[in-house]
Amino acid sequence: MERTRTRSRRTVAVVAACAAGLLMVSGCASAHGGKAAQQRAAALAAGHANTPRIKIAMITHSAPGDTFWDLVRKGAQTAASKDNVDLIYASDPNSANQANLVQNAIDQKVDGIAVTLADPNAMKNVVAEAEKKGIPVVGLNAGETAWQSEKLLEFFGQDESIAGEAFGRKLNSTGAHHDLCVIHEQGNVSLEQRCAGIKKTFKGKTDILYVNGADMPSVKSTITAKLQQDHSIDVVATLGAPFALTAVQAVSDAGSKAKVATFDLNQDLVNGIKAGSIEFAVDQQPYLQGYLAIDGLWLYKYNGNFSGGGTQPVLTGPAFVDKSNVATIAKFAANGTR
Amino acid sequence: MSETTPEGSGDFEPELTGSSTEQAPIVELRGAGKSYGNVLALHGVDLAVRPGTVTCVLGDNGAGKSTLIKIISGLHQHTEGDYLIDGEPVRLANPREALARGIATVYQDLATVPLMPVWRNFFLGSELTRGVWPLRRLDIARMKATCEEELRRMGIALNDMERPIGSLSGGQRQSVAIARAVYFGARVLILDEPTAALGVKQSGVVLKYIAAARDRGLGVIFITHNPHHAFMVGDHFSVLRLGTLELSAARADITLDQLTHHMSGGAELDALKHELAQVAGVDTGKAPDAER
Amino acid sequence: MADATAPAAPPAKDTPPHTTRRSPLRRLLARPEVGALVGAIVVYLFFFAVAPPFRQLDSLATVLYQASTIGIVALPVALLMIGGEFDLSAGVAVITSALTASELSWQLTQNIWVGVFAALAVSLAVGALNGFLLMRTGLPSFLVTLGTFLMLQGLNLAVTKLLTGNVATDSISNMDGFNQARKVFASTVDIGGVDVKITVLWWLGFAVIATWVLLRTKFGNWIFAVGGDRASARSVGVPVGFTKIALFMSVGFAAWFVGMNQLFSFDTVQSGEGVGNEFLYIIAAVIGGCLLTGGYGSAVGAVIGAFIFGMVTQGIVYANWNPDWFKFFLGVMLLAATLVNLWVRRQATRR
Repeated sequence: MERTRTRSRRTVAVVAACAAGLLMVSGCASAHGGKAAQQRAAALAAGHANTPRIKIAMITHSAPGDTFWDLVRKGAQTAASKDNVDLIYASDPNSANQANLVQNAIDQKVDGIAVTLADPNAMKNVVAEAEKKGIPVVGLNAGETAWQSEKLLEFFGQDESIAGEAFGRKLNSTGAHHDLCVIHEQGNVSLEQRCAGIKKTFKGKTDILYVNGADMPSVKSTITAKLQQDHSIDVVATLGAPFALTAVQAVSDAGSKAKVATFDLNQDLVNGIKAGSIEFAVDQQPYLQGYLAIDGLWLYKYNGNFSGGGTQPVLTGPAFVDKSNVATIAKFAANGTR
Repeated sequence: MSETTPEGSGDFEPELTGSSTEQAPIVELRGAGKSYGNVLALHGVDLAVRPGTVTCVLGDNGAGKSTLIKIISGLHQHTEGDYLIDGEPVRLANPREALARGIATVYQDLATVPLMPVWRNFFLGSELTRGVWPLRRLDIARMKATCEEELRRMGIALNDMERPIGSLSGGQRQSVAIARAVYFGARVLILDEPTAALGVKQSGVVLKYIAAARDRGLGVIFITHNPHHAFMVGDHFSVLRLGTLELSAARADITLDQLTHHMSGGAELDALKHELAQVAGVDTGKAPDAER
Repeated sequence: MADATAPAAPPAKDTPPHTTRRSPLRRLLARPEVGALVGAIVVYLFFFAVAPPFRQLDSLATVLYQASTIGIVALPVALLMIGGEFDLSAGVAVITSALTASELSWQLTQNIWVGVFAALAVSLAVGALNGFLLMRTGLPSFLVTLGTFLMLQGLNLAVTKLLTGNVATDSISNMDGFNQARKVFASTVDIGGVDVKITVLWWLGFAVIATWVLLRTKFGNWIFAVGGDRASARSVGVPVGFTKIALFMSVGFAAWFVGMNQLFSFDTVQSGEGVGNEFLYIIAAVIGGCLLTGGYGSAVGAVIGAFIFGMVTQGIVYANWNPDWFKFFLGVMLLAATLVNLWVRRQATRR
């Protein structure tokens, strides 16, 4: 009792002191964490090409602020600075708007376009127009089934269904019987494909749960509710790294024993895998997708190379990250590039 | 805060325009006028408002009635002549200042919030509170009781102070607005066309409350274009025409017919009748002297 | 000139039956939150019947948590709507607040509380800016706050990216003050064996304060007045600008609080989040009986609205239904709530 009181009194004191500390900032310096503690690894920097500067546009269907697409962009940026490329990055989740952005790039007379075919039909006309104007177009991430018919030069990525299927097989090896596939954006094709892939190969039962990805507390309580409703769920599969960490909290709130596995990576997730709160993550290496797409266009421009001979995609995944290999990944994830 | 009774009267009477046997005017205009740029909206108007009397201001649309109200209520400032309150020349900066001197205006839109209960409307902007901050709260019981009592004193019987004021009839709402002005210390009440949008019966209700306010010692300025309404309650009549005073007469010096005649344009209307008869052979014998 | 001639004498004609006391039922129906309350009971009984897991107290705690994170912001949003205005920036303002606290503490390596209070200042400033722009420009709040909504959305992303190079903030869970702050904003309290999130208690506490302010203070009277008839309110001396700016700032305060809950629950903040939540707050307020046109509504109603929202969101999961239908149910509820409100309003203003 006495101890609690002292502690709460101390809390009040610290709070008050820190309110004043807004004026005298240094008084409240945190002894732990923060930027001061971050050891910034040297940014990925390869050599620098001396080919003439060219302009390449990357147009994706990313929503603003998406962690995954941020990595794709970083990869593309790294390749661009290495290859002396002026990178124009633009994105819009609405396919009609995305097509307009491609048209915009064509109007700018870029030397190459990297595009995602989340909605192949919407992109068909603008891609054809780019090709007519002699602008090489490569695909990345989404559109593994359509890139050949739309005559894209090459394709870097990983089919979402294949990744889902691999995920399902991996789940089989953990001995799970009933998984919950959490879709954080209702109606998103690639997310639905991932869950469909899991369902295909996973031997147990697969349930799908839609949550509002734009509202974390809602994600948490919805997963909690589902786990309370169905106690037989023994693994939660999330489709994005931030949701996996939330799912871990939901599992403990619901008093469930379910494990959590996820698609995609970020630094906190790597720590989660290290700590054992997250079983594994399947990584399609977005950084690599972005990097290869730009590098591929550059190689085509200056050396006529292209991967896969126009028939085979370049697969960037699935790569699994679990306790056995997390240590090697961890330092890259800390840089925000994995 | 209780109702304000008229100032002690009769002890000293400065020489004034009009009859000198009555109480000193609270509000007085002497040759007042207002021009907006080059446009002369009001010119040379004399007006005196005494406690316990109803001064009617009549006139057609565009006669300068609203300019006159705006000057008295402090919304606009006069550009010629004098405006005196309690015999002292003033130049009011805004309606708040007018209110502080006891001059309250009840506009046609009444300044009530339809969905709020009667008692909340009554005290809106001048709520009674009790307790100390941060626990200072509305003194609801006192406000309801005061509101009910004040309304009763004006002859308005409402049992349910929680009723949204929007559910009252037009006349009742008008009356609540009048009662509110009276309660908050108005000595002069300016009523802007209070009967304009009302039917005969509701108009009667409002006229009754005008009389009630007068009997409580307020000076009432009753703006209207209806000479019949004016004549029922008025003690003094001023008819405005094209921005100037066409007529200023005490009740004793005028009949309803004369008032109606002046109100409807008087001599000009006679000329118009004559013209019409010549031009189109209109049967003007039956043309009414007044619109209403 | 005595009271003898006062018209108090024969008021018989002026008090026809319609001015007599309304029946208790009519008076009850005139309460803004009644429609929502009836709806809440129906929804509760419904899910109680069809979804066995919904009956557990643990489940109720989950529902309440979901409801509280919407409801805390829905409270001032409801007051703001009663005051006649919208705030479309509330959803992203939550994230702005969380980002500010997180980034400030982390980038400057300060105690968490420095960031927390800085975030409060920023949130209140955003609210004040909304209110100030509204009063200054005379534009509808829908437009003004749509502007700030977009600006904040952009700022959230751009500043986060600028500072961290990522689209999410770094974890602050190991920094000084984090555990204290978590106790305040994101802990769990054991109530009779059920783990209840502390936000639920804060929510109910705020609801009591909001109700008291609305119904029992001068300021509450002004809120109804500025929303019901702005010109009338001004002409009887209600400080319209002050009232509206204060309301926007109270939304800022709530956004700050929920932002802190989010930050200390999840350690990091995704900069793109929060979009769309502004409508959930408005939905909760409208289900709870607030009129879109202002001047009418209640804080209790917003609580019930958020609770209904939480029950439907989680109830569909507990009932193990096809979640594809969730948005449809939500749409039906919103329409039904609006119709009930319309009907209630008619009852209230009927002669």
